[in-house]
Amino acid sequence: MILKTKQLSKSFGGLKAINKVDFELPKNEIRGIIGPNGSGKSTFFNLVSGIYDSDPGSYIEFDGHDITFAPPHEIATYGLSRTFQLLRLYQDMTVIDNVMSGYHTRVPYKFFDAVIGRKKIWDQERAIKEEMMELLSFVGLADYAELNASELSGGQRRLLVLARAIAMKPKLLMLDEPAAGLSPVNVDNLMKIIMQLKEKYGLTLIIIEHILKVVMDTCNSVTVFDHGQKIAEGTPAQVKDDNAVIEAYLGKKMDDEEMRKALAV
Amino acid sequence: MEKFKSIIRDYPFIAFIIAFVILAFVPSLVFTDVYQSHLATLIFVNIVVAAGLNIVKGYCGQVTVGHVGLFAVGSYTAGTLFLYLGLGFWATLPIAIIVTAFFGVAMGIPSFRLEGPYLALATLGGGEAIRLFIENGNFFRSTFGISDIPTPSLMGYNFDSPDRYYFISMTIMIIAVYFSFSILRSGVGRAFMSIREDPICAAAAGINVKKYKILAFILSAMFAGAAGAVYAHMPPGYIHPNNYTVIEMVTFLAMVVLGGLGHIWGGIIGAIVITIVYDLTRPLYKYQLLIFGLTIVLTILFMPKGLGGFIDRYFLEKRFKKKTGTEKTT
Repeated sequence: MILKTKQLSKSFGGLKAINKVDFELPKNEIRGIIGPNGSGKSTFFNLVSGIYDSDPGSYIEFDGHDITFAPPHEIATYGLSRTFQLLRLYQDMTVIDNVMSGYHTRVPYKFFDAVIGRKKIWDQERAIKEEMMELLSFVGLADYAELNASELSGGQRRLLVLARAIAMKPKLLMLDEPAAGLSPVNVDNLMKIIMQLKEKYGLTLIIIEHILKVVMDTCNSVTVFDHGQKIAEGTPAQVKDDNAVIEAYLGKKMDDEEMRKALAV
Repeated sequence: MEKFKSIIRDYPFIAFIIAFVILAFVPSLVFTDVYQSHLATLIFVNIVVAAGLNIVKGYCGQVTVGHVGLFAVGSYTAGTLFLYLGLGFWATLPIAIIVTAFFGVAMGIPSFRLEGPYLALATLGGGEAIRLFIENGNFFRSTFGISDIPTPSLMGYNFDSPDRYYFISMTIMIIAVYFSFSILRSGVGRAFMSIREDPICAAAAGINVKKYKILAFILSAMFAGAAGAVYAHMPPGYIHPNNYTVIEMVTFLAMVVLGGLGHIWGGIIGAIVITIVYDLTRPLYKYQLLIFGLTIVLTILFMPKGLGGFIDRYFLEKRFKKKTGTEKTT
């Protein structure tokens, strides 16, 4: 198990955004998380990556480390990387700087060496830059390396965010709606790149996605959230036929008698 | 030429040694009177302050308006150490840097919780508090200022006139600029920038936001402290609280904004331009604040990245066109 949560809860005032979720994820799996808007998917990500503090009684374990109370930067050093639904691109930095800032946890030199400006530093910096340029050309952004991130198109921004999250060579990559707002062709392209990256770096993936086709086609298993609770888990085929899931997404299945009653009122 | 470039790339300090040698010949070859040396020293002091301010404001994105207070701490540490202990420049400079670094920590702590204009207000309060503390304490000789702070001497050679002191201020400036370059071009500079752009995402990428914010404040405070000490020992060696008001703060800000926030050359270009303009407009001293305020507003409106960013942009577009054969317009 690379990620494990027990009784994970988070409430905002009276609202229980996440309510006692037990979640387990084996290595090398691609897990999809689906659920209607406001069902707690993104909150789950924020809790795991340490951006929110979870309520008392929760427990989160990542790769053997207890990260329940760890701050986000510490969790990142254990090898957990994530993207954001609203991208949070570094708009005023160049594309290459964006990707290189994702490398932070792997920077080999100490601060003091950087102040002195020894030759070693510049060698290592160049090596980092080369590696990151490779990554950029892998996702197809090498030509834009020196432009500001704000000058990229929507699809390119999604690729850049992906590259930035990969730069730290994570063990677990959590993608929050990676394909939101992309055209079908671009979605296919993006998923292809994500699969290639998974193979290349041996990643474990969690993907939140509203495009069900993407989830059903690529994920090994799917977890469904509704009102902060985990209502179903299993292979895509199992989840598709689960009554609770259909209810959450489409409404309840009714027999004729119930339907008549409902319409009469 | 290629070989020379690669040497500079590996050992950037060689470029700074070359700059040192060139600048060392400027007074004897270019300057016609002592006043120009004095002006050059002022430029160098301002470059050090602006380079430090660029770290915390331009790179780390923390809007601080109390930097002049740190500058005052540097000056007054040097001044009082001379006044009460009789210490000379070589002792007061390092002590001033360390003391100012501690004040930088104090100035940086509000940035954990405040941002944008609210942080600006808090640091403005901090800077003004330092000035008022100096102004109202007899300990600091507030009424008449501290005078006759001695110029440094090295192996029997006394840098006692503006054209001699030029070498001291220039050396400090070159060292400070070298440090700021190495810090900002390394991963530390990138971490600062990520915090400026998006602290939450920076944290998720493994950057310890609080640590780096405080680091930025400490570094820039050390720059301000060094500049303050150099300023205090500058002939005729006189400091007075009136030299550390909000007006000075506005000029420091104007330097960084005009040169380019978050541009590695930003503070340096700005300090040179603004100090010369400041000197030329001395007869119009009533309107100086108006001029610098207007400079800040107009630069932000029409050149948000300042002169440095403007020049960069020109070359970048040229390179992009050459590489891809298409025009990049935004």
